[in-house]
Amino acid sequence: MFVIYGASGDLTRRKLFPALYALAYRRMLPERFAVLGSARSPMTSEDFRKGMEEAVRAHARVEFKQEVWDELAQSTYYVSTEFEDDEGGDRVAEKLKELDHEHGTEGNRLFYLAVPPVAIAMLVHEIGDRRTGEGWARLVVEKPFGLDLASARRLNHEILRHFRENEVFRIDHYLGKETVQNMLALRFANGIFEPLWTRQFVDHVQITVAEAIGIEGRAAFYEKLGASRDVFQNHLLQLVAITAMEPPIDFDADAVRNEKAKVLRAMEVDAVVRGQYGPGYVEGQMVPGYREEEGVDPESTTETYLAAKLRIDTWRWADTPFYVRTGKRLPRRETTIAIHFKRVPQSLFAHADGLRPNVLAIHVQPDEGVSLGIGAKVPGQGMTVRTVNMDFLYGGAFRTGLPEAYERLILDAMRGDPTLFTRADEIEEQWRIVDSFLVRWADQVPDFPNYDAGTWGPVEGDEVLHRDGRSWGRH
Amino acid sequence: MSAVRDQEWTGRDVTIGQIDRALAELRSDAMDLRTSVLTHVAWAPPEWQDAARETLAGMAELHPSRTLLLFPQEDGRDAIDADLSLECYTLAELERHVCSEVIELRLHGRVAQAPASVILPLVLPDLPVFLRWRGQPPFGEPVFEQLVNVVDRLVVDSREWREAPGCYTSLAEIFDRVAVSDIVWARTLRWRRAIAELDSAANARRLRVRGPLQEASLLAGWLRSRLDRAIELDHAAADRIELIELDAREVLAREERPSPSELLSGELDRFSRDPVYEAAASAAL
Repeated sequence: MFVIYGASGDLTRRKLFPALYALAYRRMLPERFAVLGSARSPMTSEDFRKGMEEAVRAHARVEFKQEVWDELAQSTYYVSTEFEDDEGGDRVAEKLKELDHEHGTEGNRLFYLAVPPVAIAMLVHEIGDRRTGEGWARLVVEKPFGLDLASARRLNHEILRHFRENEVFRIDHYLGKETVQNMLALRFANGIFEPLWTRQFVDHVQITVAEAIGIEGRAAFYEKLGASRDVFQNHLLQLVAITAMEPPIDFDADAVRNEKAKVLRAMEVDAVVRGQYGPGYVEGQMVPGYREEEGVDPESTTETYLAAKLRIDTWRWADTPFYVRTGKRLPRRETTIAIHFKRVPQSLFAHADGLRPNVLAIHVQPDEGVSLGIGAKVPGQGMTVRTVNMDFLYGGAFRTGLPEAYERLILDAMRGDPTLFTRADEIEEQWRIVDSFLVRWADQVPDFPNYDAGTWGPVEGDEVLHRDGRSWGRH
Repeated sequence: MSAVRDQEWTGRDVTIGQIDRALAELRSDAMDLRTSVLTHVAWAPPEWQDAARETLAGMAELHPSRTLLLFPQEDGRDAIDADLSLECYTLAELERHVCSEVIELRLHGRVAQAPASVILPLVLPDLPVFLRWRGQPPFGEPVFEQLVNVVDRLVVDSREWREAPGCYTSLAEIFDRVAVSDIVWARTLRWRRAIAELDSAANARRLRVRGPLQEASLLAGWLRSRLDRAIELDHAAADRIELIELDAREVLAREERPSPSELLSGELDRFSRDPVYEAAASAAL
């Protein structure tokens, strides 16, 4: 039984149901399966199905087939409830019992909390109190998981009162992306990369998570979070952890998560800057500044950009900085992990202005794939060398559509495989890293806005690298 | 190498996201390897569009790249229309082929005032960006300034300018911000070589040129800056250089007629600033 709390929300419409439909389309849902949506909005199951059909038609990755939808819709239900209300909780529990009987789901439950952070603890309590011990129970929790280290610890404590760690699936959808998982394949399935993946050969690493969009009407949500909590604390730090982790002994969930947790424990912030966008041009269109967005405080100090220099105190990465940045209203949507290798010790070529040190770039989105910048001789007389990018395009090589991150993660959660989900200790380490500068920021009044929409962020973001004689790659 | 196929896509009033997706689809149909050495941006006002397309013919084979042709349109509609194509080449003894992308964008209305915001999402990762500006650049105007700020090298042909050589002063003002190539400068190469071979060149005082004013001005500027003294220029107009005399002695140079594509191609192989050209342009007036 797939139970969605917050079923009338955007996440359910844009991601969860399209992913469930894609799984149904690929015949990957269990035979005995049903979905129960629950939210405050009053509506009938029929209304809910109609809304989800529209959502699937608009957002599903695969073609719409009426017979596939009809089969999924037949097992889709809705219960309207106030989360604070005990009666509401009982209503959901009764409906679940009824559906168990109807669909033969034997008390197996996957609870998906697609609700605002403030509602999570209360729902966990309500769900936990009603656990019967019949069948299995899994809990999927969306980000942000807490707002700082203290609140994340409280939430972990509350969840672990009712669920065991292996029943908890803290979702970071970046880990469900094929290209992020391909990083593991690239590193650990190829003999040529891993030996170079150390401080001896890597000069530094750059990770960019850039968005061209603004806050898209989510002012109330974003004002509380900012770039540090919305992206840095989760997606960015997880990408760093996957890039920097030691080879796990196998691909067992805990083996992988142990290695990521070690990286996070060894990580410190050497420098961090923040920014907020003002008006500017993005993709040819004039867009308003953050403070002019609807619902945003005109004096808001919420950061929409963050750049940091991270230090990982391990034998593998000592003195090898990881520069990371994220922001909204940057020139383009892009997530890239770029491994910048060291220069050759001596340049033998007189005509080599076009030659740069090798860069291995993993393009998480868009243009999913890997590119390697190599020095090559320009054909003709003489010995002019320049950098050529060899691009491996993921979609082109396998000739198949890449599954949406949510398809993979929902399936893993149903199968009980938490490898691609964040463990409690990882979450707490991530918050420790973020808290180290949030405390300082709280006492300072930033001079915002400090970058124009459509640019690569404030000058201070570039200076984080310039101080070390480096600059951001043009990814 | 030989071209094997062209894939195409056309869209009217499109977003950059749609262009990105269309490119990805074209690529997935055609290739799994893309080899690139640069992003080549060409800004071509209406009167230069045909010339811009002609110059590009065959360039992809010499410089595998992503080419962005920007055609500003003066009309009331704020929109982007796009024509995308892939030029693919088979590799000898390999089944796979390598492709380059040509993205032709017609920028309408206010979009044409913000071209940097259109090209930034489309430039190739970690490779140099060359901007070929057709016609006379509007020095100091936002459209030109914003593009100069996001590219690595600006390629102009000052023969296309209405106000040469006066504009060399404006051009000199951006030398510290972006590396600059002038195709006129490349055209003078054989003459500079010939002059440099003359024993008397070091004592030269007077240069006579029958040819385009831009070539004449740059050659005079070159001599002034290299010799660090005044050189008098006696100029007579002609479509191409027909005669050069240095202190009344005729300079003879080997005949070379590079095509516009070859001239541009040569500039796309340069990366760093050219201090000799910069000094010549600064001393051209």
